[in-house]
Amino acid sequence: MKQSALEVEQLVKEFGGLRAVAGVSLSVEAGQRRVLIGPNGAGKTTLFHCITGTLRPSLGRVSLFGRDVTYLEEYERTALGMGRTFQISNVFTELTLLENLTLAIVGTDRRKWTMLRPVRAFGSVREEALQGLEAVGLEHRAAETAQHLSYGERRQLELALALKSNPRLLLLDEPCAGLSPSERQRISRMIADLPRTTTVVMIEHDMDVALGLADRVTVLHRGSVILEGTPDEVQANPKVREVYFGHA
Amino acid sequence: MDRSRVTVVIVVLAAALALPFYAGPFWMGLATQIIIFGLLALSVDLLLGHTGLFSLCHASFFAVAAYTTAILQVRYGTPTVFAAPAGVLAGTLLALVFGIAVRTRGVYFILITIALGFIVWGVAYRWSSFTGGDNGVTNVPFPSIGPLAVTSHLQYYYLVLAIVMLCALGYRMLVSSPFGLGLRGIKASESRMRSLGYRTALHLYVAFVLSGALASLAGVLYVYYNRFVNPVTGSFQISVEVALMAIVGGSGTIIGPFIGSGVLLGLRNWVSSFFELHAAVMGVVFIATVLWAPDGLVGLARRLRKRRTGIRKDPA
Ligand SMILES: Nc1ncnc2c1ncn2[C@@H]1O[C@H](COP(=O)(O)OP(=O)(O)OP(=O)(O)O)[C@@H](O)[C@H]1O
Ligand SMILES: [Mg+2]
Repeated sequence: MKQSALEVEQLVKEFGGLRAVAGVSLSVEAGQRRVLIGPNGAGKTTLFHCITGTLRPSLGRVSLFGRDVTYLEEYERTALGMGRTFQISNVFTELTLLENLTLAIVGTDRRKWTMLRPVRAFGSVREEALQGLEAVGLEHRAAETAQHLSYGERRQLELALALKSNPRLLLLDEPCAGLSPSERQRISRMIADLPRTTTVVMIEHDMDVALGLADRVTVLHRGSVILEGTPDEVQANPKVREVYFGHA
Repeated sequence: MDRSRVTVVIVVLAAALALPFYAGPFWMGLATQIIIFGLLALSVDLLLGHTGLFSLCHASFFAVAAYTTAILQVRYGTPTVFAAPAGVLAGTLLALVFGIAVRTRGVYFILITIALGFIVWGVAYRWSSFTGGDNGVTNVPFPSIGPLAVTSHLQYYYLVLAIVMLCALGYRMLVSSPFGLGLRGIKASESRMRSLGYRTALHLYVAFVLSGALASLAGVLYVYYNRFVNPVTGSFQISVEVALMAIVGGSGTIIGPFIGSGVLLGLRNWVSSFFELHAAVMGVVFIATVLWAPDGLVGLARRLRKRRTGIRKDPA
């Protein structure tokens, strides 16, 4: 069996009396494209936050690449090779796009502690940052601050940030939500073209995008996994049609 | 650096260097104070302008450094070579302890720093057998290292100018480094920084300690200028005033805190010569800043210049 990139065991997250995640177990093989679907409020984002370390689970365990990270901080998990995007774009609006990418690049190595050398003296970082922007088609706006970006462009920058922390495991929270059809296509292309050394776990509402990219699909409903299978199996399943599309 | 910024820097430096040739002792004294408090305001702004943390305890580092140097010099006759670094060290050690405040954010951070500041002020005031209480420590001599001795206010002015210029250069290096960019990243989005692999609390702690060290250096420079130190030096009011200096001048810039220091100290000197209420005047200045120049005087100047050049380019 292939090594698993992500292992979630009996994960529970409660907010007050609400069980947003009610005992989820999940195992994602290295290199797999896994899509998480489920109706609004199913607990997808909450599950993500527990995997990344943004939230502490109430119960259960999380392992990355065979290592138990349940008690590790978010930055330690990132150092192990985790990258993520946020459902609501979370970019550095006051900084230029180049600075945004620079932060992502030096975030996972010791250069982030350099104090006596200006950022612009790191030529290789600059080049890498420009490449990262080019990949999402934003290189011509490198010197602008992110607050001038449109909604769609922010989503693209969001993805560029996640990719530049060199993740072995990439967690994408609805990367295509609210994008125009052409932007959507560009992003799904990018995700599809990622090397198989990167494991991708993606939350996606758009069935076409989801089923096009996924090796396997996990369906979440009210905090629990109700089904896991190939895209075809999931599409054909009446239970999924009921909770997801509201009809059988 | 664009051309106008270079011009501003050169003009300011030339004016500062030539000051003794056109200003009398009173203005020299005021200028020395402005530069020293400008450095203190700059240290506060490393947190305020770059990380977004609003510290109201920087008078503590300033005062602890000043007291340490003063007590060593006056009471123990320690030479400047040891007394001055010991002052910086003492203030920095305090910053290492007060740095726990970075575990909190926003209004809680402000409240904790206020509380920490009051502790230092209270100790300075009450532990009078050591600190001299209300009277403080007086008769601090001019600094002297071996054969090199400062013997006049004029010489001390140039010494302060040189040290503060070096600090400004170092500060510039720091804020344009990856570490400095990281601080601005935390200000913009701490959650994003965490997900990119930054241990943000440690970044902020290091910034806090560096900022405290700079404030301590300002404290040592101050005590050799002022010749005495008392609890007022470490008071809440000083902490507030230096934060105002940074905001009024232009937070997030280097020249801004010095401009703010000039405006506030200049105004205080002018107003208090015929008016008891200089605190009220400071309040009005602050409100005017928030309303009409939220980015401080530097921000206002930039905006005006942009508007002017914008108009000039327009008729096409
Ligand atoms: N910080 C929080 N405090 C309290 N309740 C929360 C919190 N975050 C999420 N919830 C609740 O937990 C449940 C799951 O939310 P979550 O955001 O994980 O859903 P989701 O599957 O990502 O939904 P969507 O498709 O709308 O993004 C919801 O009922 C939500 O209101
Ligand atoms: Mg969600």
